[in-house]
Amino acid sequence: MAEPKRMSAYTLKNIHHQPGEGFSLQIDQLSVAAGQLTALLGDNGAGKSTLMKLLALLEKPQTGEIKFLGASLRYDAAQRRQIGYVDQYPYMLPGSVEDNIRLAMKLQRAPKNQHHDQLQVIAQTLQISHLLNQDARTLSGGELKRVAIARAISYQPSILLLDEPFANLDTSQVNALELTLRQLSESGTTIIFSSHDRLRAQALTSHHINLVHGRTTRMPLLNVFSGNYHAPIFDTGQLAIHAVSEQSSASHIAIDPNEIIVSRQALTGSSLQNSFNGQLVQIAQEAQAIRLTIACGETFQAVISQQAFDALQLQLGETVCISFKATAVTLF
Amino acid sequence: MEFFSDALLAAIQLIIAMDPEVTEIVVFSVGVSLAASLIAAATGIPAGIAMAINTFPGKKTLQHLLNTLMAMPTVVIGLLLYGLLSRVGPLGDWGLLYTPTAIIIAQSILIFPIMMNLTVSAVNSADPRLFSTLRSLGARPANFAWHVARTTRLAILAGVVTGFGRAIGEVGAAMMLGGNIEGYTRTMTTAIALETSKGEFELALALGLVLLVLAFVLNFMLSWLNRNV
Repeated sequence: MAEPKRMSAYTLKNIHHQPGEGFSLQIDQLSVAAGQLTALLGDNGAGKSTLMKLLALLEKPQTGEIKFLGASLRYDAAQRRQIGYVDQYPYMLPGSVEDNIRLAMKLQRAPKNQHHDQLQVIAQTLQISHLLNQDARTLSGGELKRVAIARAISYQPSILLLDEPFANLDTSQVNALELTLRQLSESGTTIIFSSHDRLRAQALTSHHINLVHGRTTRMPLLNVFSGNYHAPIFDTGQLAIHAVSEQSSASHIAIDPNEIIVSRQALTGSSLQNSFNGQLVQIAQEAQAIRLTIACGETFQAVISQQAFDALQLQLGETVCISFKATAVTLF
Repeated sequence: MEFFSDALLAAIQLIIAMDPEVTEIVVFSVGVSLAASLIAAATGIPAGIAMAINTFPGKKTLQHLLNTLMAMPTVVIGLLLYGLLSRVGPLGDWGLLYTPTAIIIAQSILIFPIMMNLTVSAVNSADPRLFSTLRSLGARPANFAWHVARTTRLAILAGVVTGFGRAIGEVGAAMMLGGNIEGYTRTMTTAIALETSKGEFELALALGLVLLVLAFVLNFMLSWLNRNV
């Protein structure tokens, strides 16, 4: 059965935003569905925090249009009230943890008679009950993140934006936070979180936005190479990769790791135009599959099934062959 | 040398004995400067916060103007206000010349730019996440300004203390607008100037010592505030 069509939490059109020298965010078209958990993926410096600030209505794009729940942006308190935003490095106002959470509820004009109960529920959800009376400026990294999330959800926003929520957390804290995000998402809150950790994000949700150098791509962020394209060859400086595109100005390619075929010998007589020999340098287990890292001039990541891995009987350091179609290459 | 040491001894005795004349002048001076500080703080702090958290055309020019006004000579303020308040001036009917009110007005104007400018720097030096956090928590303008002020209060208070120090130590405006009338508009600084020229060195020195102690206390407060900001 087809999923019912969801409303868009955000629709971005022709956004161009240059917060400082050099870097610019360029998004032609992007829409984020409401009511689901979406991961914003990209390397450090890809523009995740910049995009988050635009979505949190903390910055205005220099050009372009953002629609929020179908309406134009007014950048007023009423619209901000629907958004909970947690900075990568959360800031606490002077006072205790409880003061901070109560202040948020007060500023957002949550009904006063609900403040106390709401505070208890949130403190329990995020396991910060024991911290309520502590000076908010003396919290550890993990505590700070949880308190900041508690503060952001205290007024029950319909959209929660989290910038790198998993950074600087230890494993048990990450697990607890993942659980909280799942619960919030199931209760109907739209959550967008940014992460440079693709694997963690993939484990949590199948909805992704990929950012590379300030631009969105449909591809997962593996096997991204930069270089020059002179049809039909994309030259990375190390490898010449066959690619098919009408776009002649592309400076990046991405290859879906699921489209890469790994074999012991080069495949003959196939339609795979790209075939490279390389050394197997890493084997990692990922969710239900095996992720192989192969160095052949450029470093490729390929994902194969457990059965395929068993059949190939691969060992670290062995020479293997990777092959993929020209159509598996996305240029952007 | 004997003249100076004798005068110093006599001055210390005046202070220890809490001489009524010394006490009266000190209390009057502190009162006038406190009133001026209150007025300047009540206007300068909100103005400084408003200037710091908003962007508007001419903000840079205003900043330059404030920097200039901070260094304005007190006699210039005295001169301008004298022109306004003197019997033939536009505000002459108010009859304010040579009253404590005139001194308070002059000192308020003198230290307003100091308090406003130091408030601007206090807010500007706050963690930028303070603003984004308040904004994302949906703070409306009045609440926003209030919490910015609350968070930067120690740095703002340092500006208030600096302003008070300038007010109590200035002599030009108090002399020109207060007229140094005994028992009415005589401040520590105008008294020191007058008594010295009269040759009443003990009283001048006693007041000078009190002024020094005040300056020391104010500086101590400032350094404490700066350590704790």
